[in-house]
Amino acid sequence: MRAPSPTPLLQARAITVRFGGLEAVGNLDMAIGRNAIHGLIGPNGAGKTTVLNVLTGFVRPTEGELVFDGAEIGGIGVNGFARRGLARTFQNIRLFGAMTVLESVLVGAHQRFSANALSLVFGRRAARDAEAAMIARAYELLAFVGLGAEVADRVATTLSYGHQRRVEIARALISSPKLLLLDEPLAGMNAVEKAEIADLVRQVRAQGIAVLLIEHDMQVVRRLCDHLTVLEYGRKLADGPPEEVLADPAVQAAYLGRAR
Amino acid sequence: MDYLGQLLANGLVLGAIYALAAVAFTLVYGVVRLVNFAFGELFMLGAFLTASLMLPEVRLLGTIVPMPGFSLPVAAMGAITLTAALGVLVDRIAYRPLRNAPRLAPLITSIAVSVVLQSLAQTIWGAEELRFPEFYLATLPPVVLFDSIYLSVMDLVVMATALAAMLGLSAFIARSSLGRAMRASAEDQMAATLVGIPVNRVVAAAFAIGSGFAALAGLLYAQTYGFAHSSMGFLPGLKALTAAVLGGIGSIPGAALGGLILGLVEALGSGYLPNGTAWKDAISFVLLVGLLYLRPQGLLGKPELNSAGRGSLLGGASEFGAAWLRTSFAKVDGALARAAAGGPRAALALLALAILVGALVPSDYWLRILTMVVIYGMLASGLNVIVGFAGLLDLGFVAFWAVGSYLTSILFVLVLKDQFGVAPADIWWLLYLNLPLAGLLAAGFAVLLGTPTLRLRGDYLAIMTLGFGEIVRVVAINWMDLTNGPMGIRGIPAPNLFGIALGSPRAQFFFALALAVLVVFAIARLVRSYVGRAWVAIREDEEAAEAMGVPTARYKLYAYAASGFVGGFVGVFYAHSQQYISPLNFSLFENILLLMLVVLGGLGTFVGPFVGALIWIVFLQLALDLPFVQAYPETRFALLGVVLIVLMVFRPQGLAASARVALTMPGARPGARRVKEVA
Repeated sequence: MRAPSPTPLLQARAITVRFGGLEAVGNLDMAIGRNAIHGLIGPNGAGKTTVLNVLTGFVRPTEGELVFDGAEIGGIGVNGFARRGLARTFQNIRLFGAMTVLESVLVGAHQRFSANALSLVFGRRAARDAEAAMIARAYELLAFVGLGAEVADRVATTLSYGHQRRVEIARALISSPKLLLLDEPLAGMNAVEKAEIADLVRQVRAQGIAVLLIEHDMQVVRRLCDHLTVLEYGRKLADGPPEEVLADPAVQAAYLGRAR
Repeated sequence: MDYLGQLLANGLVLGAIYALAAVAFTLVYGVVRLVNFAFGELFMLGAFLTASLMLPEVRLLGTIVPMPGFSLPVAAMGAITLTAALGVLVDRIAYRPLRNAPRLAPLITSIAVSVVLQSLAQTIWGAEELRFPEFYLATLPPVVLFDSIYLSVMDLVVMATALAAMLGLSAFIARSSLGRAMRASAEDQMAATLVGIPVNRVVAAAFAIGSGFAALAGLLYAQTYGFAHSSMGFLPGLKALTAAVLGGIGSIPGAALGGLILGLVEALGSGYLPNGTAWKDAISFVLLVGLLYLRPQGLLGKPELNSAGRGSLLGGASEFGAAWLRTSFAKVDGALARAAAGGPRAALALLALAILVGALVPSDYWLRILTMVVIYGMLASGLNVIVGFAGLLDLGFVAFWAVGSYLTSILFVLVLKDQFGVAPADIWWLLYLNLPLAGLLAAGFAVLLGTPTLRLRGDYLAIMTLGFGEIVRVVAINWMDLTNGPMGIRGIPAPNLFGIALGSPRAQFFFALALAVLVVFAIARLVRSYVGRAWVAIREDEEAAEAMGVPTARYKLYAYAASGFVGGFVGVFYAHSQQYISPLNFSLFENILLLMLVVLGGLGTFVGPFVGALIWIVFLQLALDLPFVQAYPETRFALLGVVLIVLMVFRPQGLAASARVALTMPGARPGARRVKEVA
C-alpha cells in the first residue's frame, strides 16, 4: 500500500466545458485523494459523465487544467490518460464484441506489452513470456472480480449484464492504474449484486488504487465513499465527507426538488 | 486569356456533366446512406440507349435490330425513362432487402450490380465503341465568345440542360410533397416512417431521379465525345462520386459546386500542366484526397456523416429466406468457423491437402488455376489485415500489390536487362531480395496512404482509399519512363533458385504455396498477440480501445503497414509468375474482387481468404463451361455479380459470419482450459 501523501492524486483546477453555447461543466475545482473512494453525485444532467470524460481525456476542457500524480496532463490523447494510470469503465458497458472475456481483459493490458513485430513473428521467448504473464494476471483479475475461469473463453458480450460489468472492471484493473473511474457501476443491479460490487470497490482501494465513482444510490454512496463531490447544472454544489455533504440542505434540495 | 477562356469554357461543360451525375450519388446517399457505385453504369446505359434510339438500326447481341431513329430530345427522354425504371428495379432487387444490413453488404451489392450491368452492356452492344449519332444542332457552326472562345451549340445545350435539370430538381425538393418527404427521410428515416411517410416509395423516387440524372449526364457526355462504350461509365462515375464528396455528399448544391470545381480543375490542369491531358484523371483524385484530409465532410456537407461504425463490417445482420436456405447457410458458416478456429492443426491439415493436390493434379491448366488461387488468397490475406481485423474498409489495396510487382519488374527488366544488359538468370537471387524489399516499400506507401485517412471513417474512408488506388493506377499508366505505361512490362523472368528454373506450373504452385505459408504464419503470429487484440478492439469500439491505452492511430497505421507489406511481397511473386504486368492488372475491380474473396471465406480469419479464392476461381472456371457463357464470354462476370447479389441479399453477413480466430498466443496459456463458446 502506498504511503499516504499530502498532495492529492488528481487535481482538477477551474475546469469548464462548453459544447457550443451550452456550459456542461462550470469552473469546477476537484481533488481526488490518494487511496480515496471518491463519489461524484448529482441529479441527472448535472454533468457527472462529462467530468469523468474530462478526467479520462475523452473531452478536452474548454478551460482549466488537470494535475495527475504531480504532473500536468493534457493534450496527450485518450490513450495517454490510460498510460498515465487512469482507467475507466463506461456507463453503457462497452466490451469488445466478438472477443472472448480473456481477450477483452488483455486489451486493457495493452501498454504492458512491448515486443516488436519481429519478435512476435519469430515467436521470441520474451514475447511469449510476457503474454503468458499477462494471461495469468488476467485469470487472477477475473477471480478478483468474482468471475470463474470458465467464463474466460466465452464471447464477452454473451455474458449476463452483471458479469459484463465485472469484466469491464477487470479490463480496467489489468493496466495497474492509479485511479479507477467507474461510471455508474451499480446501475441495474439488485441489492445482493450491489453489495458485492461495493465490496469489490473496497478491495480495489485496499490494493492502493484510488476510485472515483458516479452513483445514484445514496445508501451505497454513504457507506462506500469517503469523500463526495456534488454537481448541479455543471457546477460544484458541495464537497466533503459523505455525512456532511448529504446533510447539506442545498444538496437535499437538489435531489428532492427546491421549495418554490 | 484566350487559352484560359477556352479552358474555362471546356471546364464548365465537363463540370455540368459531372454535376448532373454527382446529383445521382448525393440524392441517393442523402436518403439511404448508400454509395451506389452502379450509377457509373447507369450513366453508360443512358448513353447507349440514347444512341440506339437515335439510330435507324443497331447491332444487338450480334444481330442487326431495326430502331426508331428518334431525334436526340425524344431518344434522350426515352433513355432517361428506361434508365430510371432500371434504377428503381435495381433498388428493389439488390438494395431494399439490405436496408438495415451493415455497411459492407450494400457496398458489395452495388459493386456487383455495376459488374452485372457493365458485362451485360458489353454482351449486348459488343466490346467496340458505338458512334454517337450526330444531332442537327451539333452541325451548326460554333458560337464565338469574346472573339476567341469557341463553344459548339451542343456545349451550350449541355450547360443549359444541366442548369435546368438542377433548378428543376431543387424546386421539386423544396416545393413538392414528395420532395418534402425526401428531405424528411434524409433527416431521420425512422421518424419519417413513424409520421406515415412511405419511405420505400421515397427511396424508389430518389433512385428514379438519381438514375435519370445519371442517364442524362451519360448521354450528354457521349454526345460531347461522340461515342458510347461499355466501360465509359467507370471513370466519370468515380469523378461524379468525387464531385459529390467534394461538395459534401448529401447536399445537392454541394454536388453542383463539386461538379463544377472538378470540371474546371480538370480542364485547367490538362491545359496548363506539362502533359496535362494524361494526368487529368490523377488531378481529380489528388483534389479529393487533399480535401478529405483537410475537411472530411466536404465543402457543404454535414460532419456527422463521417461517423464511426462499430464492429465487424458485416456483423449484426439479419437474414431472410426459406428455412432450408438458412440452415444450409448455417452449416456452411459452421464449417468455415470450425476451419477458422482450428488453429495451427487445421492450417497444417489444409497445407498437407494443398501439397497432395499440387503433387497429384496432372494438368498444367489446373495447376495454373490453383496457383492463382494461392496468389489471390495471399493478397486477400493482406487486405484482410486491414479490413477484417482492424475493420477499416480499404479500396486502395491494389496499389501495394502494384508497388511490389512494379518494383521487381522495373529492376529486372527495365533497369538491369535493358540498361545494363544483365541476364535475369545471373541475378536470380535478386527476386529473393525483392520480396522483403518490396514489402517494406509497400508498407511505407501504406503508412503514407494511411496517415491522412486516420480522421476518416466509414464511407469516406472507402472513398479516400479508392482515390489513392486510382492515383497509383494513373501514375502507372502515365509515367512512361518508369513503368512503360499502358504497354506494361514484358519478359519478367520466371522464379529461379540457384540456377534451377522454377517456371513449370507445378514448381510455381509450390513456390506460391511456400510464400503463402510464410504470409499466413506471419499474419497469424501478429494477430495472435497484443497487436491483433488492439486491431480487433479498434474494429469493435475505437473509443473504448483508446481508453484502454491502445494508441489507435498508431495501430491503424501498423495495420496499413502489415497489409501493405503483404501486398508488396506477393506482388513480387505475382510479376514473376505472370511474366507480364500492366496497369490493367491493378484496377479497382481487382481490389473489390479481393474484398469479395475475404467476405466469401470469412472476414478476420486466416484460412478464409484462401477459401474465398478457391470458391471464386473454381466457380469462374466452371462457369466457362456453361453454353451461354461460351457464346458470350462477358456474361461470366455478370454471373459472378448475380451470385454475389443473391448471396448478399440472403446472407448479408457473409458465408462465414461466426468464424473467428483466437487472439492469444498459442501455448501461452496456463492450464489451457477450453470451453466451447455458445455463439
